[in-house]
Formats: sequence, C-alpha cells, structure tokens
Amino acid sequence: MLSQTAITPTTAPLHIQQFTGLDEQTVQRLHSLGLTVGSALVPVRFYPFHGPVIINVNQQQIGIRYTVFQTLIGGD
Amino acid sequence: MTTVALLGNPNTGKTTLFNELTDKYAYVGNWTGVTVEKKMGKIKHSEIEVVDLPGVYSLSPITKDEAVVTNYLLTNRPDLVLNVTNASQLKRNLLLSIEVLEFGAPVIIALNMIDDLKRTGHYYDFDTLTEQLGCQVKATNARNKEGLDDLRTALLQGPQPTGKKLQLTYPFMIEQAIRQASQQLVSDFDLTADFARWLTIQFINQNKSIRAYAKHMQLTPLMSQAAYYDAQKFDDQIFQTRLTFIEQTLNQASENIASTSHIQMTAKIDKWITHPLLGLPVFVGIFFLMFKLSFDWVGTPMSDLLDGFLSGPVSTTASHLLTAAGAIPILRSLVVNGLIAGVGGVLVFIPQIFVLFACISLLEDSGYMARAALVTDRIMQMIGLNGKAFIPLIIGFGCNVTGIMAARTIEQPKERLITTLISPFMSCSARLPIYSLFVAAFFPRNQALIVLSIYFLGIAVALGMAKIYQILFNVKDSSVFIVELPQYHLPRLDIIWRGTWDKGKGFIKKAGTIIFAGTVLIWLLSSFGTSGLVSDIDNSFAAMLGKGLLPLFAPLGITTWQVISALFTGILAKEVISSSMMVMFHTANQTGLIAMMARYFTPLSAYATLVFILLYVPCFATIGTIKSETGSTKWALYSVVSSLAIAYGLALIIYQVGSLFI
Repeated sequence: MLSQTAITPTTAPLHIQQFTGLDEQTVQRLHSLGLTVGSALVPVRFYPFHGPVIINVNQQQIGIRYTVFQTLIGGD
Repeated sequence: MTTVALLGNPNTGKTTLFNELTDKYAYVGNWTGVTVEKKMGKIKHSEIEVVDLPGVYSLSPITKDEAVVTNYLLTNRPDLVLNVTNASQLKRNLLLSIEVLEFGAPVIIALNMIDDLKRTGHYYDFDTLTEQLGCQVKATNARNKEGLDDLRTALLQGPQPTGKKLQLTYPFMIEQAIRQASQQLVSDFDLTADFARWLTIQFINQNKSIRAYAKHMQLTPLMSQAAYYDAQKFDDQIFQTRLTFIEQTLNQASENIASTSHIQMTAKIDKWITHPLLGLPVFVGIFFLMFKLSFDWVGTPMSDLLDGFLSGPVSTTASHLLTAAGAIPILRSLVVNGLIAGVGGVLVFIPQIFVLFACISLLEDSGYMARAALVTDRIMQMIGLNGKAFIPLIIGFGCNVTGIMAARTIEQPKERLITTLISPFMSCSARLPIYSLFVAAFFPRNQALIVLSIYFLGIAVALGMAKIYQILFNVKDSSVFIVELPQYHLPRLDIIWRGTWDKGKGFIKKAGTIIFAGTVLIWLLSSFGTSGLVSDIDNSFAAMLGKGLLPLFAPLGITTWQVISALFTGILAKEVISSSMMVMFHTANQTGLIAMMARYFTPLSAYATLVFILLYVPCFATIGTIKSETGSTKWALYSVVSSLAIAYGLALIIYQVGSLFI
C-alpha cells in the first residue's frame, strides 16, 4: 500500500443536508457507505460539463454524479 | 465438512485473503465485482471449505451479484462466517457486519489492511470490539501476509465462546413487530429463533431478495404486515439504530497511536490520473502503452521466436519421425499440416495475449479500474450508461464471456442488458491471432496503431449501439453511479501472475480442446470432397462452402474462398480463424501464410476484413453467456443477427468508400 490520505480537498467541508429526491437505490447505496444526514463531505474534484464529483466522506473517496452531489448538499 | 463463508464489502482485500488462506486460488482484483460468482477453496492442510462470496455493501441486494450473497445465506447454513472488513473504514463496514451477526452463525471479523489504519494514527482496542460485537476480531494485512497464521488458527479451531451474541435493540415499535412476526415464524414455519429474527429484520428493512423469498415461501406473518412496516418507515429507524451503535462502539474502542509518516502517494498519483481534463488522455495513453507492450515491444518479438521454433524444429522433427515410423502420407499431413500448423499457429500468440492480460491484471490490482470508470462516466452518461459499464467492456478485451458476467455489478436491468448486448463488440483476446497475422502481412510498420484502431472502432461501435439502445429502451438519465475509489496498491507480482494465468489458461486449454478439434475438422473439410479424399483443395467441402458465399463477400474485398471458410470456423472460437487459414492455404508457418495472403489482399481489403472479424457473430461461448445472463434465447439470436449486419455494413462502407480514394 502506498498511501492513506486523499487528494487535498479543494474546498471547506460541507454537510449532507438531505437524501430527498434521490432514487431508492442511490439512497440505499449511500447509506451502505455510511453516509447520513449531517455527515461531513468534502468535494475533491469536479469533472467538466457537470460530470462526476469526487467527494471525501469518512476518510474514503467516492465518485458520484453531479446531480446527486447537488441534492446531498441541499441544492437543486 | 466445516464450511466457512467469506463475506465483506468490496475493496477489503477479501479475495486476496481467500487466496492466502486456501490451496486453490480465485481471481484477484481491486475492482468491485471481480468475484461475480462464489468461489470455493480449502484451507491449506485441512478439510475446511471456504466459500468466497462477491463483495457486497449490504445484504439488501441492488445488483445481480449482490443477490448471490443473500441467496447463499437463505439456502445455506455456513458453520462460520469470516467477515472481512477494511480496518480504516470500519464505520461503514460494520453496517454489513451487523447484518451478518444478526444472521446468527458464528462470526470472525477480520480487520484487514490494518497497516493503513495504523498509518492514520488510529487503532482499536480489540477486547472492546470483541465484547461489543459478540464475536472474535482479528487484525490482518493479507497483502503482506500479516496476521494470517493467527486467523488460520482461529478458523481451524472453529467457533469460540465470546460472551453474549450481538442483538441490537431497535426502537420499541420495531422490536414489537420483530417479536410478533418471528414468534409466529418459529411456531408456524419451524424456523430457528435466530433465523426468524434475522429474516424479519431483513424483511422490515425492505430487502428485496427476502421479500421475494417470503412471498415464495408464503410467510404470512411477514407478508401480512409489509404495508404497515413500510408506512412506518421502519427501515430508516433500523439504519439509524445501527449507525448509532457503530459510532458508540468505535468511540469506545478507539485508541490513538503515533502515526507513521507516509507519503501521500495516492494523492500524488490521482493528481494526474483523475484530473478533470487530463484523466481521459491519461486513460487513452495507458491503453496505448498496453498495446505497444503487447504488440511492438515485448509480445510480438517473443511470438516470432515461438513461431520459428514450432514451424521449424518441431514441425521438421515431427515430419521426420513420422516418415521414419512409416506413417502413411495422409496421417503425416494431418499431424504436420493440420495439427502442428493449426494448433501451433494459435499457440504462437500466447506471448502477446499473456502480456496484454498481465497489463489488465496490473490495472485491476493497482486500483486504476475504478478511476477509469470515473473518468469515462461523462461520456458513458451521454449514451445512457455509466462509467461502471466501462469496466465489463474493458474486461471484455480479455474475454467477452467474463466481460458479460462482470456486467452483473450494474444496478439497472436495462443498463445491464445494453452492456451485455454491446460487449461482443469489444475485441477479445481470441481475435488477436488473426489481427496479428494481418498487421504483420499488410501493416508491418504500424502494427500497434492498426490493432489499436480496431480496438477503438470496437469501442466506438459499442458506444454507438448503446446510444441507439438507450433511445429504443427508453433509458432514463437517473442511473445509479456511485464508485468507491480504493487506494493504490503497489502491484504484487504473484497477484499479477495469478490474474494473468487465470485469464490466459483458458486460451491454452482451448488450444488443446476446441481449437484442436476445430483444426481437425477444418483439415477434414479441406482434405475431403464429394469424391472422397481430394488431392486438390479446390474440390474440397471447405472450398464448396467458401465459393458458394464468395459473391456475398466480394463487395468487402474478400476474393478468396479460404478466408470465408475460415471465418465460418471462427464462430466455434475466434482463435480458430488463423489456424483454419493455415490449414486452408496449406502452409506450415506464419511466413508462408503471409506470403500467400499478399496475393489475395490489398491493405484496404485487409483492413475491411479485420473490421468484419472484429464485429461479426460472437463465438459460441459468448452467445451461450448472453442467453444465460439475459435469460432469453431471443437476445442471443438478436446478438448474432445484429452483429453480422453491423459487421457486413461497416466492412462494406470501409472497402467501397476506401476504394474511391486508394
């Protein structure tokens, strides 16, 4: 194993506001990854043209769709 | 016989642990869904059987391979469950552990990748974890073989008393519902108390597999209450109860230790690999490098050496020995022109195929595949798929059968179907021998580039078809795309070799079975005709078949019946095409065949033929897998017809349009 930590976060931590509006399977998978309302979330990378977003949650990096990211932080 | 079920989240090193513990090995990879079926092995020097189950995040399945785990627990009663967790991500790993502990079978939890946890300056008090979770907890680091002796001893000793079994206390209303339903299940359906409680919790938690099971088994105490459970949103409360318990447990067990200095290598690598703009060019560059290694730098020179050996000393010695033994000419022809030329003609490509497989195994083991899914997601989104579909397609480079099976990790059934249907367009390794032959004959200076263009054409056709299917199947844009990015691993040679061998052994096995049989069949077809044994191959059955279809293939630039007959045999297995051509053209080595082909092809018609070979009818094994994975003969037939039409159309366009300019 080469390392432990993630890419240096690009912005300050946000918190998950809601799962409302996401489909059932996405919510289930996010829950299984330990994400819940109030979890601290640090966006690490944004891909162009509203591509996926890499987030850092609970010391793990996860790639999610931009729309999911927006919903989680309470936007859209 | 004692059975241990190996179960855990993806990316916990579960399969590596399985390989270290057991005599037999399974395929190892650093990508969710490598274990698409459960695999069996025996703990070294013992009779204890280990079942390696696919990695899952929860027992509530979303994907097809996740359902394998739940169905296993419903139909089997393992003596022990070895729950492998990623020590540095214990919070979410324990969500699955709780579900497993509630199942009631004795459990050992392995905190794998323990070194990663230590590097962060954190550790856990194992006595506290054991007490809180009610099971044995062991520290391991499977990649460095640490803690394995201790774990193996624990598995050999079997279940040990660890105090009270874990039984979470859910909110009052849920506990009441669990108690009522499970009591009835025990009394009316003769279930054990543990199993009844687990079944009830899973049912309340809206586990689709369990609900289907309850319906199938007519478990009325559960079925009658389903609407009530759902209306009360009990599943949310179950999740919160579990999460609270885990946080409390980890807080109690948490210890701080001096953190070791560590280089932020994953961060440094990802700075380039997952870069928003450079990620895609890097992806293309990695694949270009892979092809250069396979076709220019390493694979081809080794293949040439092997070809020289097989067509030279081996062929000559066999011919001399047969002559000395007084073998009749037809037998000599069968062995020298049929078997050695045919099977040998396929075996010479082993170096190229193994180099390519080694590269794919390296990418899987290092953790790159998850990144590849990420950087390709935006493109895949445009055609109604997600980046995860890219992985089965990449695996399809090795073999379309395994690629199609890896599509089981895709959540939505429609996306899974589309991925299955477009997978045969990915150029599998079996097609390499015939590509190598053509590029050596017609594009000697640009071999890697031409082969790469064929591979990318395959990808382009696959993506184009996916877009058409997206419209036809009315696939919505709300695809589940959540991909975990594991940390990079320093590649371990033994794991790379195992992955390479696991993928490549099928090729060698096929050379000894189906290719061997195919070669004999081709030799028979090309040596016999309506009048019996023929001295002129032009009067053989193979010639009759090829000549009959020649007018159809002429517009593609294929002007010789031998190639058409060889293409037919490719449906048996793609590797057979090159060996068939060896037999049809009655040549003993690659050099002779290349000289022969130069008489019938131009570079343009050769390229059009390569395109046809890339896209036409999948091999029998792939057709069978499409049928079994879609559960429908209709889709298998559709795949045959559609791929043939696309192959013909594209090869026709390339040859006809190209002829206008060249």
